[in-house]
Amino acid sequence: MSQSLRPYLQCVRSSLTAALSLSNFASQASERHNVPEIEAASSPEVLLNPLTVSRNENEKVLIEPSINSVRISIKIKQADEIEHILVHKFTRFLTQRAEAFFILRRKPVKGYDISFLITNFHTEEMLKHKLVDFIIQFMEEVDKEISEMKLFLNARARFVAESFLTPFD
Amino acid sequence: MLLLDYQNVLIESILKDRFAQGPGSIDQVVSDFDGVTFHISTPETKSKILISISVKCFPELVQYGAQAVLEREYGPFIVAPENGYDFSVQVDLEALPEDQEAQDDLIRRISLLKRNAMAAPFEQAFDEFQHLQAEASKYTSEQAPQGVREGGEVRAIHYREEEAIYIKASHDRVTVIFSTVFREETDRIFGKVFLQEFVDARRRAIQNAPQVLFQNKPPLELQGIPGVNDSGSGDIGYITFVLFPRHLTNQRRAEVISHIQTFRDYFHYHIKASKAFIHSRMRRRTADFLQVLRRARPETEEKERKTASGRTFKVQG
Repeated sequence: MSQSLRPYLQCVRSSLTAALSLSNFASQASERHNVPEIEAASSPEVLLNPLTVSRNENEKVLIEPSINSVRISIKIKQADEIEHILVHKFTRFLTQRAEAFFILRRKPVKGYDISFLITNFHTEEMLKHKLVDFIIQFMEEVDKEISEMKLFLNARARFVAESFLTPFD
Repeated sequence: MLLLDYQNVLIESILKDRFAQGPGSIDQVVSDFDGVTFHISTPETKSKILISISVKCFPELVQYGAQAVLEREYGPFIVAPENGYDFSVQVDLEALPEDQEAQDDLIRRISLLKRNAMAAPFEQAFDEFQHLQAEASKYTSEQAPQGVREGGEVRAIHYREEEAIYIKASHDRVTVIFSTVFREETDRIFGKVFLQEFVDARRRAIQNAPQVLFQNKPPLELQGIPGVNDSGSGDIGYITFVLFPRHLTNQRRAEVISHIQTFRDYFHYHIKASKAFIHSRMRRRTADFLQVLRRARPETEEKERKTASGRTFKVQG
């Protein structure tokens, strides 16, 4: 792990742990509804201050807490066109399987690549520290995966080009 | 399996079967790259196999001397083209050459039908190059008359809907330009990565390979050629191969022509293959992530509860 990644992840981890103190809270606007307040945004008094943790301008995490839900949005590093397309493909692949991921949001928040929505029902069912672990591990692995895919693509391209040109030699 | 075969494998295997096992009725349509279609049939008797080919750009190929090339390759086997096809050859199983080697050679030649049809403009350009080279050796570079220095005309083969090959001979090289369309953004970017490696390969490993250039705008050679559209949108790429005299010698040209023809299909095939690999990789990675998330769920072990006498509880729905 690189020198600047560790404090970045550590900061996300503690901010997230702090934000994940959720309680059941029925909607004030409509009777017998219980919606994630951060998504509905119908009662401003139950929303807390959003927080951004940035490693640099290309990599940041936005944590938006509220009384019964937390929205976490991640911007994944994209250094060039190839990484951009790989990130796009990968996040699309994941969001299409959002059903299986429970906490994954189908659509990222504007300006970010992928978003999670954790509600009080999730924290009741699942272990909170393990959920935090999941987010952190996701952040670690996604960068690794993207750079590995890029390396693979370059290696394959080189091999393909050389084997096509060898018969001319 | 990395490189594509030059011949059509299906035709090859059908003919091999028939040659070995004797007559039998066949009626099969075989597709090949670039929208080429073959039809293998036995219309009259079971022993006479008719192989027809349909190529989208056949009129263009004829204009560049395809008829002569095909006559050279298939001479006595040529028959009148079947209805709906451009060119036909017929093999009589009862009049096959005696020895095995000649038979194999015939099979090989017939399965290379597409390659030979497409080879005509290349051969013509290579001949023109030799002619121009001989011309040019008479002059020093300053004195050369206009025609010799500029090189010959550009031969265009519109072998697919939106894609074409352009071939231009000059006194010291033959330039082959492929135009290719990228259907989507991912293809375009993957294509760029691949082509960058083609450009670099020469510098790094294979010094004698043809020079490869890549650009999104039509190269200067193609200025004023009808049908070259300069949309500038970037989804059409132009890949230029510069073949040097060492590629154009008589003993190498057949191989070079076969090989360069497969470029477009080879290139796109590997783009698609990389996409497929990355997709399966993402699938695996997603499964890993799910595994991690599943750990967040506390284990609720549902033990079977029993009474002292050994009877079990059952939840009534």
